[in-house]
Amino acid sequence: MRSPALAIAWEFRRRHLWVLIALAGYLLVLAAIKVLIHGPWQPVTLDPPDGRVGVAMVPLSTTFFYFLAVFSFGLAGDLGARQSIYPARMFALPVTTKALAGWPMLYGAATMTSLWLGTALFARWPWGMHLPLIWPALLAVVFLAWTQALTWMPYGLPGLRVIVTVLWLATLDAAVLLALHSKVPEAVLLAVLAPQLPLAYAAACFAVARARCGDVPDWRGMFARPAGNAVLTRWRDRFPSPARAQAWFEWRRHGRSLPALVGLLLPFELALLWLAKDAPAFVFEILFLVLITPPFVAAFTGWTGSKPHPNVSDSYGVPPFSATRPLTSAELIGAKLKMAMWSTLAAWGLVFVTTPLALAWSGAWPVLIERAQRMNDAIGTPRAVVFVLLILAGFIVSTWKQLVQSLHIVLTGRPWLIKGSVLLTLTFLILLGPIVEWIIDSPSVQGALWNALPLILAGLVGLKMSAAAWIATRLERSRLLGDRALVAGAACWCVAVLALYGVLVWFFSTPFVARYVLALIAILAVPLARLSAAPLALAWNRHR
Amino acid sequence: MSESVISVSELTRRFGATTALASVSLSMPRGAVYGLVGANGAGKTTLIKHLLGLLRAESGSVRVFGLDPVADPVGVLSRIGYLSEENDLPGWMRVDELLRYSRAFYPAWDDAYAEQLRHAFALHPTAKIKNLSRGQRAQAGLLIALAHRPELLVLDEPSSGLDPIVRRDILGAVIRTIADEGRTVLFSSHLLGEVEQVADHVTMIHQGKIVLSAPLDDIKESHRVDGRVPSLDEIFIARVGMPAAPASEA
Repeated sequence: MRSPALAIAWEFRRRHLWVLIALAGYLLVLAAIKVLIHGPWQPVTLDPPDGRVGVAMVPLSTTFFYFLAVFSFGLAGDLGARQSIYPARMFALPVTTKALAGWPMLYGAATMTSLWLGTALFARWPWGMHLPLIWPALLAVVFLAWTQALTWMPYGLPGLRVIVTVLWLATLDAAVLLALHSKVPEAVLLAVLAPQLPLAYAAACFAVARARCGDVPDWRGMFARPAGNAVLTRWRDRFPSPARAQAWFEWRRHGRSLPALVGLLLPFELALLWLAKDAPAFVFEILFLVLITPPFVAAFTGWTGSKPHPNVSDSYGVPPFSATRPLTSAELIGAKLKMAMWSTLAAWGLVFVTTPLALAWSGAWPVLIERAQRMNDAIGTPRAVVFVLLILAGFIVSTWKQLVQSLHIVLTGRPWLIKGSVLLTLTFLILLGPIVEWIIDSPSVQGALWNALPLILAGLVGLKMSAAAWIATRLERSRLLGDRALVAGAACWCVAVLALYGVLVWFFSTPFVARYVLALIAILAVPLARLSAAPLALAWNRHR
Repeated sequence: MSESVISVSELTRRFGATTALASVSLSMPRGAVYGLVGANGAGKTTLIKHLLGLLRAESGSVRVFGLDPVADPVGVLSRIGYLSEENDLPGWMRVDELLRYSRAFYPAWDDAYAEQLRHAFALHPTAKIKNLSRGQRAQAGLLIALAHRPELLVLDEPSSGLDPIVRRDILGAVIRTIADEGRTVLFSSHLLGEVEQVADHVTMIHQGKIVLSAPLDDIKESHRVDGRVPSLDEIFIARVGMPAAPASEA
């Protein structure tokens, strides 16, 4: 290594080159499939949307966010901390602060430009789509540069980094979308975006300089409790049980992410009500967006448990501090489930408080009342009430489910399993678009699927129950759960399935849907196998 | 000596092609201070992790207080105080939160003793763990390992975290007090000089094998040369052929 610049470049390349290689390989395979199956010159369109575009867009978008995290050092840093996330070990290098800020920015800019140019060229051939080359590349670079500058800055309050960065990037994004919507010429767009690069670089230099000399402001005093005895009171408080203490630990470690992120997104979503109050369809789209936000965010925060612990030798394993708690693995899982419940309730509490207020203040409330009235007239009051409650309960349970359903993977602590599972999920998402489009375009496929639905559901139920039986046997043999706990768990699950089945039968009292299909749906809807596997996964990780 | 606190029999552990522990057998009766010594990578931490149930015995058996630490983690871990070499206390916690949280797991937690140790280590209750120095973090770890007056105190390379004054004065005093109260201490180190000061019994481990395990006095007596009692460092070199710690650390 002949220079610090090369050494910094080597570090990025050494750790993340495989992503670029994987992406390039994937696009090559995709191009070959496109050429062989559809022919090289048959175009794919964005308008109307073509499901095949998703096959390329999902991995490209994922790679964009991945590089955003890589070049801002966000993969290893603590985003919620007041201190800069720029790696402190690099502050001791004999290089100037400008170089410390500048080289990662330059490498990031080059990578983002290459990513976009590669995407645009790939879209041009063989997909036959003409995408603009310059402004999106510049936007990606500006996006990264601001992310770097704002995340490297030390802040006076914990969590302020996330708020400032998200707000600034969202504003930037909104401004560009508005410009595109107004058909602003590309030259104007470039003239607005380009000057932001030196500004972001100056901000990054300032941020790194402050972080390098340990200049971290502390504004926590402004929010400190006025009573001096608060600390003493806390100090004397006791947890009533070890399980309660562990639940508190989990809440402080992971539980606050979901409500915080939902709280961050809600104002932006609800602000749209002021624009849409006269368009009923748009009001309901916004409400759907609000309702889908907690489960959507939970799908991401549910994976935060797999974040490696940088300070311990086995970064994916259970850290010794947690592994040596005198609790059984089942009790440790119980604390996680409880935390997920609190987290879900806190997130939905925010939704339930802010949404009616926003509806009332924006003047969109009458639109909702009018629709509710119509539904009331159409299906009767009891059904209308149950329908709304069922929808809300579905969203709430789905949020909790998203938080806990990946525990059986995350808690294994095996990088190959965690990364493999992420890859499978991404593959599923990538294939979802084309498959859905294929089904929508083919009435014969729809008919066949409808006819085979009971068989498909029965197969899935068989799979679920077999997995649950195997897991129950393993739990019993390994003594992770006692016989009473297993029986009580099974009984609770049966009650939940029966209750759901009852509601479904009452609600869908139609000859078109057979009752056994509703029973199969109820069995599939209530979590069992993956949840039961979580103690096994943790024990496998805790006692290696 | 009474019944064994720790009983390890024919324990073997491999990580890929590397044999970390090879047919290790060990018995530690109650009420003494055991020094587990060896160079870095000798297998000390691997052995300790088996005692805590963090590693499952591939072959052989491990019993602590007569219990299998993997099958009964609560029964074993509630009676052990453990200071990890990795110093992985949650950085987001404050010192008072760490004490409040840890207290919940141990019915025998002694508030007065915890407070006494906190003062001795000069740990401010509102200080965040991540803002503490490396030595202070190790002290916080030692505090929660000691405050429930465990039957067995396991210290994995405490020298790597604690500063020399704490190591010499406080740790030494604590270890002796525990032993005098009839409880047991197992501590691993590659700094043999420190082990020599406090241990009653020394076990030398090298490349996953136990090369010597005996009371310290017996070891010294049996290695006496021309009336001179050699140091533990010299005995280790004589047995293993290399020093346990690099010259700069020793």
